[in-house]
Amino acid sequence: MDKPAHRRMRPLLGTFVEIAVRAPEPLAETAIASAFATIEQIQRHMSFHDADSDLSRINLHAWRRPVSVSSDIYRVLCHARHISRRSNGLFDISIGGRLVAEGRLPDHGFPALDAEGWDALELLPRLRVRLKRPVVLTLDGIAKGYAVDCAVQTLFTHGITRGLVNAGGDLRLFGPDALPIAVREASGAITPLGEWSNTAMATSAVGLSAEDQARFPSCIVTPHGCDGLACPHFNQCPRAWTVLADEAWRADALTKVAALAPEAGRSARIARLGGRLIAHDFGRGE
Amino acid sequence: MREFASLLIIPLAAFVVAPAHATEYLSVEQAQKALFPEAERFVLAPVLLTEEQRDAITDKAGVKQRWEKQDVWRAEKGGQLLGWFIVDNVVGKHEFITYAAALLPEGKVRGVEIMIFKETHGDQIREASWRKTLEGKTLADPFKLDKDVPNISGATLSCRNVMSGVKRLLVLQQLVLPSS
Repeated sequence: MDKPAHRRMRPLLGTFVEIAVRAPEPLAETAIASAFATIEQIQRHMSFHDADSDLSRINLHAWRRPVSVSSDIYRVLCHARHISRRSNGLFDISIGGRLVAEGRLPDHGFPALDAEGWDALELLPRLRVRLKRPVVLTLDGIAKGYAVDCAVQTLFTHGITRGLVNAGGDLRLFGPDALPIAVREASGAITPLGEWSNTAMATSAVGLSAEDQARFPSCIVTPHGCDGLACPHFNQCPRAWTVLADEAWRADALTKVAALAPEAGRSARIARLGGRLIAHDFGRGE
Repeated sequence: MREFASLLIIPLAAFVVAPAHATEYLSVEQAQKALFPEAERFVLAPVLLTEEQRDAITDKAGVKQRWEKQDVWRAEKGGQLLGWFIVDNVVGKHEFITYAAALLPEGKVRGVEIMIFKETHGDQIREASWRKTLEGKTLADPFKLDKDVPNISGATLSCRNVMSGVKRLLVLQQLVLPSS
């Protein structure tokens, strides 16, 4: 397609979510509205800020008793655990306590902020979740990508075959058309990455300046306590990692693995986990 | 629509620097239809704020009400107020966003749609020059968009400034707009 026929953007998931489809007008409008509704629902279930979300109920109560959750958060937790295990804990959703302690996330009265470890998560039958000890989960590293996948599924169910969903850089393209993709560098410059079709892509950055942190609120912390600029991996900051995968949740999660993995064998490690690392210069062009 | 359009102020040619990325998603009319599909008509009811009102909004919202005039429409059906349709702008260091907010009479957000999203690089958006180019601009003014809009990956861009803008509009509604 030259250009998607219908393109909409809404502020969701803490960023700007764009949905574009190529389809006749009434169908396109209905499908886009429905896909946004899907994302809104995921936002409600997985919000860390909302004390009543499924995620907050897990964080507050699941260390005492199993908590029943929606199927979407259950699936995200399955995906997260899978990547955590396969990456030897480089990807870890149990770092919420540290982010709360640092003031990056709100404190809803969690029982403990110093415990971590993805292995605390137990997924029980019938969509129930238990924590073996009181860790605080955050889905910031995977939920946006997952929301993109769900929005694409919603578009499929409406019969849309060509389009894209982009949640602030976690994007997925589907259909036969090759679309131009670019990466926003820390300087604001836009670097073209060529044309792509039928793929998901995500980019995460580390070592941003305080000013850029306000604009790009992403924050990658290591599971083992070396943060940001203090980390030996980050001596070339700011840096960003862009990963391609079939699904957006995987691309999203694997950018964190890429950011935290040692230089040697990084690409191979991402490939083993189902992604493809794309090298580009982030923010050092100017 | 025509008489409304000529009154609407939207800063479109704001950048001296080349925009890296500019997309127009919705016109005013399209945004109205998207946010209040059941409305029979939209009555322009622009708000002119006194300095005290602007200060009060700024105080209560925690975000500065920068301009005196805010473009507001009443969305009506059968003569009843469905809600308020407000077009607003936010300007960040590198981005410039025009969006529409649909507010319900009871002071709740019904929806938000981005109308125009622009990003620049290599230069900051300077508010003074931006305000100047805003004067006298109307929706009827043509503006250019990049032909091939790239789909952008990159570190997640925060939508906080739009959310703050919506919060400001809710305060404006509470202080200035009637409830029916």
